[in-house]
Amino acid sequence: MSKITRRSLVKGALTAGAAAALPTGIAIHSGRASAQAARTVRMVPHGDLRVLDPIWTTANMSAYHGAMIYDTLFGYDGNLAPQPQMVGRHGISDDKKTYTFELRDGLKWHDGTDVTARDCVASLRRWAARDGAGQHMMKSVVDISAADAKTVKIALKEPYGLVYEALAKTSTPLCYMMQEKIAETDPNQQITKHVGSGPFKFVDGEYVPGSKVVYDRNPAYVPRAEPASGIAGGKRVMLDRVIWNIMPDAQTAAAALMSGEIEFFEVPPIDILGTLETARGVKLEVLNKLGNVGYCRLNHLHPPFNNVKARKAAQLAVNQEDFLRAAIGNAKYYQTCGSHFTCGSPMGVEDGSDFLKLPMAQRQAMARELLKESGYDGKPLVVLHATDIHVMNQAAQVIAQNLRQVGFQVTLASSDWGGVVTRRSNKNAPDQGGWNVFFTWGGGNATSSPINLFGHAANGQNAWFGWPENALHEQLRTEWAGAPTLEARRAVIARMNRNMIDYVHDIKTGQWVGPVAYRADRMKGMLAVPEVVPWWNVERV
Amino acid sequence: MTAYIVRRLLATIPVMAIVGVFVFMLLHLTPGDPAAIIAGDNATEQNIAAIRTRLGLDRPLYEQFVTWAWNTLRGDLGISMFSNMSVTKLVLQRAEPTIALTITTLIVAITIAVSIGVLAAARAGTLVDRAVMGFAVMGFSVPVFVVGYLLVYLFAMKLRWLPVQGYVPIEQGLWPCLRNLILPSVALGLAYVALIARITRASMLEVLAEDYIRTANAKGVAPPGVLLRHALKNAAVPIVTVIGIGVALLISGVVITESVFNIPGVGRLVVDAIARRDYPIIQGVMIIFSGIYVLVNLAVDIVYTFLDPRIRY
Repeated sequence: MSKITRRSLVKGALTAGAAAALPTGIAIHSGRASAQAARTVRMVPHGDLRVLDPIWTTANMSAYHGAMIYDTLFGYDGNLAPQPQMVGRHGISDDKKTYTFELRDGLKWHDGTDVTARDCVASLRRWAARDGAGQHMMKSVVDISAADAKTVKIALKEPYGLVYEALAKTSTPLCYMMQEKIAETDPNQQITKHVGSGPFKFVDGEYVPGSKVVYDRNPAYVPRAEPASGIAGGKRVMLDRVIWNIMPDAQTAAAALMSGEIEFFEVPPIDILGTLETARGVKLEVLNKLGNVGYCRLNHLHPPFNNVKARKAAQLAVNQEDFLRAAIGNAKYYQTCGSHFTCGSPMGVEDGSDFLKLPMAQRQAMARELLKESGYDGKPLVVLHATDIHVMNQAAQVIAQNLRQVGFQVTLASSDWGGVVTRRSNKNAPDQGGWNVFFTWGGGNATSSPINLFGHAANGQNAWFGWPENALHEQLRTEWAGAPTLEARRAVIARMNRNMIDYVHDIKTGQWVGPVAYRADRMKGMLAVPEVVPWWNVERV
Repeated sequence: MTAYIVRRLLATIPVMAIVGVFVFMLLHLTPGDPAAIIAGDNATEQNIAAIRTRLGLDRPLYEQFVTWAWNTLRGDLGISMFSNMSVTKLVLQRAEPTIALTITTLIVAITIAVSIGVLAAARAGTLVDRAVMGFAVMGFSVPVFVVGYLLVYLFAMKLRWLPVQGYVPIEQGLWPCLRNLILPSVALGLAYVALIARITRASMLEVLAEDYIRTANAKGVAPPGVLLRHALKNAAVPIVTVIGIGVALLISGVVITESVFNIPGVGRLVVDAIARRDYPIIQGVMIIFSGIYVLVNLAVDIVYTFLDPRIRY
């Protein structure tokens, strides 16, 4: 018989305690954890969620955040047609000057209170104060009011054809609905509470800016009966949790995807697509079919580009193919395009762009002639060059070389993107802190509308950076907004595109799409939506 | 000693003030407008101007400086222009991963570096010595991110022993936390190992030539005792100095390592803030980093007195 010592007694008790408690504890814990893990998706988005107010900023990440926790009155479906979302019954008066929207039943905020028409009125007003399309619409609006607890009325002084399109659009800022007390925040000030009525809830306590954003399923969300399409239709949530991991390093994100530490990588760089294509369980898919449109903005305020002949010379000189090959590389993902309104979109007409089909040598000869006629004095152009973003870095260098080839002198003003966004707003002469050329890109969906994209305005000093001025263009934009049918709009847009090329509003440098990469062995159901990554309809497999 | 420490602590005040003025001026004179970045690419000039006014960026520079300096003196590092969260809260959120990474790196680096440095000195001129010094040169020459990617490829993707990225807080368990820190600590510590190993070797060689070492050997003290008790203790002052200097190296290395291994630390916080011109965060973190650096140097000076009784303040 062995002797019982104090040490053996304590050891035995600890072992027995551990044996009794640990397996159960572990079983309970791991059971809950694995159940939640099985309905969790971890994604790496294209950037960091820095601002939680999707109305205050036009940043895409804020719009993504908005799509998770807020809902919209209307939403574009997969065919870019506006469909009711929070709205049930709706109508337009015979004189087309009064719109009535009745909220559907069961809509609740994340704090459990009902969504009311007053909430929507305040939200519409705040959004319209910040958004280009909203501001354009408000020129025709007499009043926005709550007819009763569930009915919103928009009264117009004249018929305006883009009410549904403005409220449904997916370009930033989207028209998200917020609680009245939150929506009454000054539009120039950021909101501090994040209570939506959308399919997911924002988990404030786990938000680490620059690192992690967490959303939990909103169990009280009532989806529409229709199948999900675009940002419209039934937003059925089949995940408990979506975690955004902000990863600044694309190589790390790709490695994490391949090793199964994340399920979704929104913007894998072009140079590692080949590796991801062959990785087990990983699928590449283009969700945003309209992709991005590159454009080169010219400063219309100062020589030489205050002269249309110099602008035309630059337009002939810039070779889309050169830029796309350098910046995107893989022809599977890019295309040249003669439209200012996104090839492949309903407005993607290419009228007036025949010059793109001419051989480059001929275009360059024409450009040299026009440059001579413009009286260009040989002063170097200041091309803003963002070195920290791959596409922009390549673009500035290619465009500079294209311009040099036809006789422009060019100086690259290199800085990070933060430096470019500051300098581009400077209206001084290029040698006094201003600029002549900068490159940027816009979402293909936003670019397809002459109203939604602020860069399409040509109202001089009040226009977007570059400040183009053209009365005919402004008249055509108004005409387009009032056009009653798609065909009528396309007719106007054809004239608009020709005119934009004629006065050289800016220079389009082609289109490209970027595939997302995800673990097809772990999730399915991603919806193809331009400019937003929706997480409803997605389920784990 | 107490008087010395108080004097040194008081001396940090002008140092921090100079850092504050320098950082503030450098940031505000560098091109970049946070309001334009906040507003986004599709914003109008009016929107940007309104945000600038709201953030107080349209006020004269001296006024902005006085406001910031006064608030900093009161312990208020300000509010992030983007996330609307207090800088103190943001730094505290990010402090644990950075501290954990720094500590594990220091432990890994000092343990390996001192061991191989002593070994190289004890076997001076042999193949072992040359191998250690070759390793040290390589450690200096290969950038942290290259080492990081190679480690990820081998240990995370091929062998699947360790995770590719991320950080697990220590409250979720010591092993899960350490498991995520092994690769970053090794990647970050390599240059540090090289630096300390070289100094350890040089310092040990100098001490091993001293008379008292010869005496210890003559008395029959075992070689490990001679090396560790007699030689290493006397060679420690330069090693500690280098460790102190290395903390600055570590701070800059942490920034890259945190990006490569996706560790949500203070390094990444400040890099992101610089990219978007989030002035309060940059200023706040710089003040904290400079304070840490000053304190580390003070700690190094105090450690000298324990290692060498001849040093008195």
